[in-house]
Amino acid sequence: MIRYECLQMLASKMSNQLVVTSQSGQRIEWSHLSRHEGNLLLGMMGCAIGVATGLALALPHRKVIAIDSDGSVLLSLFNLATLGNLQPKNLLIYVFDNGVYSGSRISYPTATSGNTDLAAMAQAAGIKTAQTIRAFEEFKKVGIAALDKDELGFYVCKVDESLMHREIARPNIDLAENKYTFVRYLERTEEKPIPFVGRG
Amino acid sequence: MKDELARRLVQSLKDAGINFVTYLPETRLSQILPLIRDDPAMELIAVANESEAVTIAAGATLAGKQAAVYMENTGIYVASYSLLAVGKQLGVPLLLVVAYLGGVPDLRNSFLYATIGKHSVPVLDGLGIDHRLVEDGEKLEVKVKDAVRAANALRAPYALLFAGEFSE
Repeated sequence: MIRYECLQMLASKMSNQLVVTSQSGQRIEWSHLSRHEGNLLLGMMGCAIGVATGLALALPHRKVIAIDSDGSVLLSLFNLATLGNLQPKNLLIYVFDNGVYSGSRISYPTATSGNTDLAAMAQAAGIKTAQTIRAFEEFKKVGIAALDKDELGFYVCKVDESLMHREIARPNIDLAENKYTFVRYLERTEEKPIPFVGRG
Repeated sequence: MKDELARRLVQSLKDAGINFVTYLPETRLSQILPLIRDDPAMELIAVANESEAVTIAAGATLAGKQAAVYMENTGIYVASYSLLAVGKQLGVPLLLVVAYLGGVPDLRNSFLYATIGKHSVPVLDGLGIDHRLVEDGEKLEVKVKDAVRAANALRAPYALLFAGEFSE
């Protein structure tokens, strides 16, 4: 399964969802596929699920999607225990698991290429709908269907290592610009001011 | 901490607009937790690690909440990556309500805390996070409100370090 093809399919289903990506290949690919104002492209690993959780808790009527990687989830495994108890029904997490630290350019293996099963860990942490997807047809059927479910979902999508993200243009929107675009989009669609933006 | 001081601290947070609190409990300020939990105007979120206390609070802030993160000062060390990666790099205001164990004004200081606690202020300085020491209840309400205003103005985390009477 190729991550870019999954993201392409996912991007075609987006409307008013909020999407948070962590730093790594999928951030570049997602920004290439989706220019939606509801995208928040974080600049570091290990923070996307936490930020997406905060958004989901604060906006329980909005679907929030975290697009993350195996390396990034391994960096923040405590998120699983917290989510297993919080159970935000509007949060959907896709972990694109290529089994390597691809961004390092030497592609050394992550723990998931060995004995570690992230979906099993998530289940044991209390996330009831946690499963591994291994084929594109299954992603189309199960992964995409999760968009319409009213439950916390954690889908580990086993993908081949792909270097697509090195061939396409990196996002030219900087973090502050992205943040303000995202916040202004929320102000507009939620019809309420975001307090910290304030007035000059 | 005396119950009255705990009540004033929670009321100060509320008066300053705080309506979302993530936390990992500790020993000095923990009396504030049941007060926050029982207040319908504030959402209290338990976490497993201070790092996600920061990222979850940051997400809520971007969605319109005025968030605080309550932690022990050792949590600053644990959360330093998130504080930089989300708090500083993305520029998200957060009030850090920090129990300052092991500093000179910690009334329950001991060999267990001192070696670790003495690094809190240098670490916050190293992270570029502004901070203020609060040792008693004098002008507590003003100090909390000032801290929230500073965090919003700076678009960054701001830490209040509680010791002295708060560590009784």
